[in-house]
Amino acid sequence: MASFVIEPTLDDTGVMDFVFNGYALLEGVVPEGFNRHCANLSGGGIGEVIESAEFRREVLLQTQVAGVVRSLLGPDFYLPLQGHHHLFEGSHNGQTWHSDGLTEQGYGITHLQCYYYPHEVTIDDGPTMILPGSHNRLIDREAIAHYGDIIGQLSLTVPPGTVAITRYGIWHKAGPKFNSERRSMIKFSYFRSQPPKRDWLNAKTEVPEFRNIGRHPYVTEVESYRDRRRCHRTWEWLCGRSKTKEGYDSLRQHPEAYANYCVRLSQLES
Amino acid sequence: MMIIDEVKNWILESRDRLLSGEFSEKDLQKLEDVIVQSPQKILYIYSKSTNMRSAIAGWSQYDPTIPHEPTLPSQEVPYESVLDAVADGWRIVQFPRPELRPFSDVDNCYLGYEFILERQ
Repeated sequence: MASFVIEPTLDDTGVMDFVFNGYALLEGVVPEGFNRHCANLSGGGIGEVIESAEFRREVLLQTQVAGVVRSLLGPDFYLPLQGHHHLFEGSHNGQTWHSDGLTEQGYGITHLQCYYYPHEVTIDDGPTMILPGSHNRLIDREAIAHYGDIIGQLSLTVPPGTVAITRYGIWHKAGPKFNSERRSMIKFSYFRSQPPKRDWLNAKTEVPEFRNIGRHPYVTEVESYRDRRRCHRTWEWLCGRSKTKEGYDSLRQHPEAYANYCVRLSQLES
Repeated sequence: MMIIDEVKNWILESRDRLLSGEFSEKDLQKLEDVIVQSPQKILYIYSKSTNMRSAIAGWSQYDPTIPHEPTLPSQEVPYESVLDAVADGWRIVQFPRPELRPFSDVDNCYLGYEFILERQ
């Protein structure tokens, strides 16, 4: 049985940027024909779509999408078998800021949550909003529901076929919507199965120190020191230089519990 | 218009009406309407420190007099600082209590330092 070999697409700089920002945006990478194929899906759970050969080929294993995932989760990551279609049709006031489920704090990167947009999303369509860098903040999601505008927030106004790859835990919300156009976002997740190792693009040289990328606009002076330290620890972890254990062990030790949720890349036939 | 501005206008007009002998029970009713009918508006400001002159990281306003309808996100701060908001008539009803938040040398959590302000 031949298995897929995915080439990493991020180098040290790309990985560091992801560690700092908590997201990577791949605009228009899914072909127009497949975007049209997804254009009229109904909202809610769409496991059958996610595990279809077409979705796997055109989205989950799309060269750039899978390349980023491969860079951050290693060569034999778990692909999703489940996903959710967030479909908004009428106008609405937008969601409140939140992170999904449990925040999954920790220094390692073990879970990437993705947003795929089959349609163009304009500012009037209620684009997903994210707060870059917020994946590093431990919060009770209900306790930030009163937050409003934040300096540095980002509205994902994107062309069709865009995939946003985020570190699980990043603060996000559906922005306010002013029209009755369909606004689709298909959400799914990849998981780590192997210990981290610096084996991404052009990573043959000595491990560089995590570079100081700067400060997110909403971050205070002392918080920026903490962010930098935290990013440094994540970088060390990704490079396999940290002893800290992270949550992907449960996937490795109890794969049967996740059999309906995700599948390991090496278990797929190419 | 803020309630304080409406009251100031009322005083200005009432002085004239007193001088001209036109002041009446209706003028008192007008004042009562201004005071009683203005519900409380709330402004959360996330300051970059506990100092009221610090820059602002985020904000959120709740105004029950305005219909809850979609509004575009903004990156334009309503005030440069908490003190600027106070100068514009907002009153602080809660100061940030950093000691109530979890703190460690490395991990950040909630956003900025939360001041809660109100006015009518």
